[in-house]
Amino acid sequence: MDPLINGLISLADPYLLLLLLIATIGGVVIGALPGLNATTGAALLLPFTLTMDPVPAIATMTAIYCSATFAGAITAILINTPGTAASATTCLDGYPLARRGEAGRALGMAVVSSTFGGIFSVLCLMLAAPLLARAAYNFSPPEYFALTLFGLSMLASIGDGSALKNLIAGGLGILIAMIGVDNLTSVERFTFGSYELYEGIGFVPVMIGVFGISELLVQSQQLHVKREAIRMKSVELPGRADYKKTWRTILRSSGIGTFIGILPAEGATVASMIGYNEAKRWSRNSGEFGKGAIEGVAGSEAANNAATGGAMVPTLALGIPGSATAAVILAGLMVHGLRPGPAMFTEQADFAYAIFWSMMLVNILFLIIGLRGAKVFARVTLIPVQVLWPSVFVFSIVGAYALDQSMFDVWVALGSGVIGYFMRRYGFSVVPLAIGLILGGMLEQRLGQSMVMLDEKWWLMFTRPLTLLFLVLTALALFGPALWGRLVKRRAPLESSGE
Amino acid sequence: MPQRSHEDSAQQGLTQGDLPQRDLSQHDLPGRDWHRFERWFIPCLIIAFCMVAFWLTTTFKTMPPILKRGIQPSDFPQLLLGLLVLLTLFMVWKDPIRVKERMHRSTWGTILLFAVFAATTAIDLFLALAIFAVAMAAYWGERRVPMLGLVGLVVPVAIFFIFDQVFEIRFPRGLLTNLWYG
Repeated sequence: MDPLINGLISLADPYLLLLLLIATIGGVVIGALPGLNATTGAALLLPFTLTMDPVPAIATMTAIYCSATFAGAITAILINTPGTAASATTCLDGYPLARRGEAGRALGMAVVSSTFGGIFSVLCLMLAAPLLARAAYNFSPPEYFALTLFGLSMLASIGDGSALKNLIAGGLGILIAMIGVDNLTSVERFTFGSYELYEGIGFVPVMIGVFGISELLVQSQQLHVKREAIRMKSVELPGRADYKKTWRTILRSSGIGTFIGILPAEGATVASMIGYNEAKRWSRNSGEFGKGAIEGVAGSEAANNAATGGAMVPTLALGIPGSATAAVILAGLMVHGLRPGPAMFTEQADFAYAIFWSMMLVNILFLIIGLRGAKVFARVTLIPVQVLWPSVFVFSIVGAYALDQSMFDVWVALGSGVIGYFMRRYGFSVVPLAIGLILGGMLEQRLGQSMVMLDEKWWLMFTRPLTLLFLVLTALALFGPALWGRLVKRRAPLESSGE
Repeated sequence: MPQRSHEDSAQQGLTQGDLPQRDLSQHDLPGRDWHRFERWFIPCLIIAFCMVAFWLTTTFKTMPPILKRGIQPSDFPQLLLGLLVLLTLFMVWKDPIRVKERMHRSTWGTILLFAVFAATTAIDLFLALAIFAVAMAAYWGERRVPMLGLVGLVVPVAIFFIFDQVFEIRFPRGLLTNLWYG
């Protein structure tokens, strides 16, 4: 029980509280700005946290994660442009509600359901992460290797790219992780004799590049897009009738969001889509969906914020990121010298619980900020892109430089940004690239350790039940959707002929 | 393909493609020849890259059995590169590259500005940032002088002092930073 209390006590630090308040407001601004999202925000913030202690540094990044995920709803409802991809489903009912003059009600529901989803998922995180860590404590390298492989196989279904393209992007990320001196044998690989490449390519400049600078280039394609904002008088708390209508949806979506978040690499976007679809499926008023159903807003928003806590479960307990933003947070943990994984709950339990409590607090903070200040934050959408994106560029470059005070990192960020833009242009999501880069080294190291342990007989991995389970799950994640699709296709003509 | 309305999307169940997307004019759509070129060029580029990388792995040192710690340094990259080639070939067959939108002149221009920025850093990083920020804002259509001053002067100077004074990070010496560092 001690770490739980110690974690809570660490929140009594006024400096940490002030940082959390600033980060929550910053996160709401970032989330409300179309083009910027939690992942970009966390990547840009990471260099600023370098001089901080681990608790304030990681708590600040999680604050950005939680609040930006909620704030995407502001622009989704008011200008029909989701601030973050996770709020895209909120547009479907939020914007029609706003056009009917009920923007305040829609935003009120978004805030309340986001807060509920967020708090629900943090409670699950507090329960599940230590249990998962305890279960994983006795894992040997083969289990870890298979688990990391499973985490990477989940990349197939994330982002806006296709499964094959996601896997290729993930593979390229792993390949980038191979650059530098091999940890196992100290042999130089792909260094071309360059001193800067000896230690490999850093996570931070690549993330700043693929999430920040590539988005700048994407925005350069949209300079002519004009957005129509809907005026809002005030944000209202949903009424009793609204709660009666939506409490089941909020609860269900919170559960769905948390579960989806726990799955490695699956984030808030998938959660909000499933949350929305399930809200509609179970609703008595499913005909209203798409025309301004308050349940649609609740279902989507509760799920996407619930995914934030869920995503932190594998990130902290296993060292496998639960989402793109969690991957940036994982990079932050590594930069601060922390080792995410089962040992975190024995060796750094106070730290882990301090992060849990800070996430809980942030969810309460954005409830207050969302209800009191959504009208103000909605105005950030008026910041001209011509001012916003050059400033983002300056932040990105200085942030990339600051980590090691190396101009080489600036070139890496710039190069990754351009490559990331072209990847996105050709349908490759950049999220798998970032996750592959983080997990690549780990995967190879665990494969090497497994080979030593199994006396170079790799097939013995299949004789270990847990390893086999993860390998089967990997195969299912990779081939399951295609096989299922075929099965459904084959059944469809049979059923129609039977009719 | 006509875009589905909010109502349609909500009624028929969601996929990623149903989520709000902007309308593209005929001018934004890529030409057929360009489309065909990109469809084949990208997989060829990936495969060529993998082949070069594979050749590079053959130049890695080979460790004696006692020191190789389970696998040789080239084993894992070679396995990965082989897999990447297979996946790329499979992609050509099952999921070819489809470009949705022509690349705008503004994007090419912004990339060109990146090159100018990279060249100007030789003089001073902060001078390069300020010039880039003003140039980009102007190129993207900003004409108000106070706004240009904000992005070109206030933002870089504020960031410089935050990093220098709060985070105690020193920036590379150059024409402007020398004035501060002495």
